[in-house]
Amino acid sequence: MNKNKEKLLAKRYSSEKRFQFLGKSAIFMALLFLAIFIFKIFSTGYTAFQKTWLIVPVNFDAETMYLDANPSKEDLEDADYFEISLQSMFNLDKNANEKQQNELKKMVSYFFEREIKQELINDPSLLGKTKDVYITASDDLDQVFKGNYPRDLPENQRRVTDYQLKIFDQLVEQGKVESKFNLSFFTYPDSREAELAGIASSFMGSIFSILVCLAIAFPVAVLAAIYLEEFAPKNRFTDFIEVNINNLAAVPSIVFGLLGLGILLAVFQLPRSTPLVGGITLSLMTLPTIIIACRASLKAVPPSIREAALAMGASRMQTTMHHTVPLSMPGTLSGTIIGLAQALGETAPLILIGMVAFVNTIPGSPMDPAASLPVQIYIWAESAERGFVEKVSACIMVLLGFLIVMNLFAQIIRHKFEKKWS
Amino acid sequence: MKKNGVNMIKISAKNVDVFYGKKQALFNINLEIEENQVTALIGPSGCGKSTFLRCLNRMNDVIDICKVQGEIVINDFNINDKGCDVVRLREKIGMVFQKPNPFPKTLYENISYGPTIHGMAQSKQEMDEIVETSLKKAALWEEVKDRLHEPGTGLSGGQQQRLCIARAISVQPEVILMDEPCSALDPIATAQIEELIDELKKEHTIIIVTHSMAQAARVSQNTGFFHLGELIEHGSTDKIFKNPENNKTQDYITGRFG
Ligand SMILES: Nc1ncnc2c1ncn2[C@@H]1O[C@H](COP(=O)(O)OP(=O)(O)OP(=O)(O)O)[C@@H](O)[C@H]1O
Ligand SMILES: [Mg+2]
Repeated sequence: MNKNKEKLLAKRYSSEKRFQFLGKSAIFMALLFLAIFIFKIFSTGYTAFQKTWLIVPVNFDAETMYLDANPSKEDLEDADYFEISLQSMFNLDKNANEKQQNELKKMVSYFFEREIKQELINDPSLLGKTKDVYITASDDLDQVFKGNYPRDLPENQRRVTDYQLKIFDQLVEQGKVESKFNLSFFTYPDSREAELAGIASSFMGSIFSILVCLAIAFPVAVLAAIYLEEFAPKNRFTDFIEVNINNLAAVPSIVFGLLGLGILLAVFQLPRSTPLVGGITLSLMTLPTIIIACRASLKAVPPSIREAALAMGASRMQTTMHHTVPLSMPGTLSGTIIGLAQALGETAPLILIGMVAFVNTIPGSPMDPAASLPVQIYIWAESAERGFVEKVSACIMVLLGFLIVMNLFAQIIRHKFEKKWS
Repeated sequence: MKKNGVNMIKISAKNVDVFYGKKQALFNINLEIEENQVTALIGPSGCGKSTFLRCLNRMNDVIDICKVQGEIVINDFNINDKGCDVVRLREKIGMVFQKPNPFPKTLYENISYGPTIHGMAQSKQEMDEIVETSLKKAALWEEVKDRLHEPGTGLSGGQQQRLCIARAISVQPEVILMDEPCSALDPIATAQIEELIDELKKEHTIIIVTHSMAQAARVSQNTGFFHLGELIEHGSTDKIFKNPENNKTQDYITGRFG
């Protein structure tokens, strides 16, 4: 009898131990995957925050630019910079033949003319003098300098020629190649050239989409939730609505994209590829998430609070607005942020409504064409150039950072509310 | 108020039946409540005391499946009439619940909430006065006067219950309904609240549900005994406790069941 009991006890203990072990290993696995993922992203992505510059002496020769000695501002704007830009590149190797000169030109981004022009506009006194100018290196040389480029491939399989490598190595030796923080990654829109591609257009696109989504989904969802939870009679019809809200939350996002395509673009003729349409489409997705979160947190408000207010002679509306809704706000807000975070990472519906189009302008309003961060990741991941590989990881980092900031924000709001009530 | 030596009737319930869905919880209740007296409702658990109490300020409206039939006349007005405005009714009939349920706001906001929504104070000064007198009447003022702007949920259980009483009297109700107000309290806090009830009956009519025979005997002038949804017996507390007419009442009071 006693022995049996002891056996049973031992069994119970060992089963608890087994369970704890399984739980711990599950957590360990999850953390391990997360760590691997983050390590991979960071190790491939961190180089994107550096950009390689060639320091090239430029002769700001007035005559070549068709300028007189004392040019006005407009003159400087209109001057011809192509010739001096080209010359400064050719001067890297005075003995270059025509083919080699062409290769020299391709060692820098096609923005080099603009960069040289900016230099003179910033400091007009340079006219007639020679100055070292920082010029964005081509993405291939950028990758060479970062050590990401397989130099030992046969020449015909490389996008950089032996000649370019030779000149580049000379420049490196002379200290004429520098790596600096890649500001243009944040300030430039997308580009076909990896060295010039930035996330400004997709970042703004994401911000505008989220704002539109929030502006539509939050008020609609909160009103719907309050009505359903506090005012609507409980009958078959409201049950039916509840079931359908839950169904809506389970609809694959691409279906909402089709809806946006078929209704917002085709019927209402809203402008394609814009955060406005993207935000409306995303709000359809976010709506059920917020409704469900808001209803859950309304349900969690103790009924005794409602009774207290009602017994004081508050109307149902007053009870709801003065007591129940404020108490449910922390939960609603965190649900909203979770919904927005989901929307932020959403790609498929945005691709359908055309936010995948190549946009090389920075949107100034939700009505301008734009991409979004996850779509930008998708676009870059599709690109063949080596220079985009690190950009993909860097863009993921920005997206993750964005999400972390949002969650932090949610935490702060929740904390503030809770402080007030406890 | 006494008229010809007899207490005025404040509330009279006539043929009240209450149903939760199909289940009947109260059967044909007829009870008169005297003004400025304390009426205790006693009876075993589940007999319908709370249900009856909640009929008096129409709190049963909140429960979807609950249906109330019969007449409840307060100030010559049947509150079960369609024309009855529940908001006005509940302003006149305050309620204190079994579990203290202060709003998760400051003490001040707890008390000022009723007067605010009913527009009872014209200025901040008037509101301050209402808050102070309510808290004084509830014997809580001395303990909390320095922390009026701290959360009401930070008080002890007994203090919270007195806060709820102060909240209920802040709108000067004619009747105060109390559903086991002391069930969560220790003997000292209970004594304080009983003292308070005695004080409050000068200005308010009080109906209190209690499980403590001793409490009913101490604080009430009239007592009603409920059993299985029926009002078995009612009358002056003295009579009910000293020589009840019904055997069930006798058994319950002497602790033989319930
Ligand atoms: N919300 C409700 N839904 C359904 N039935 C209810 C509800 N509230 C009370 N009842 C039923 O009505 C009857 C009376 O309940 P009531 O709460 O009035 O009893 P009580 O006398 O206050 O009991 P206690 O002393 O335990 O508080 C009980 O049988 C109970 O099951
Ligand atoms: Mg009860």
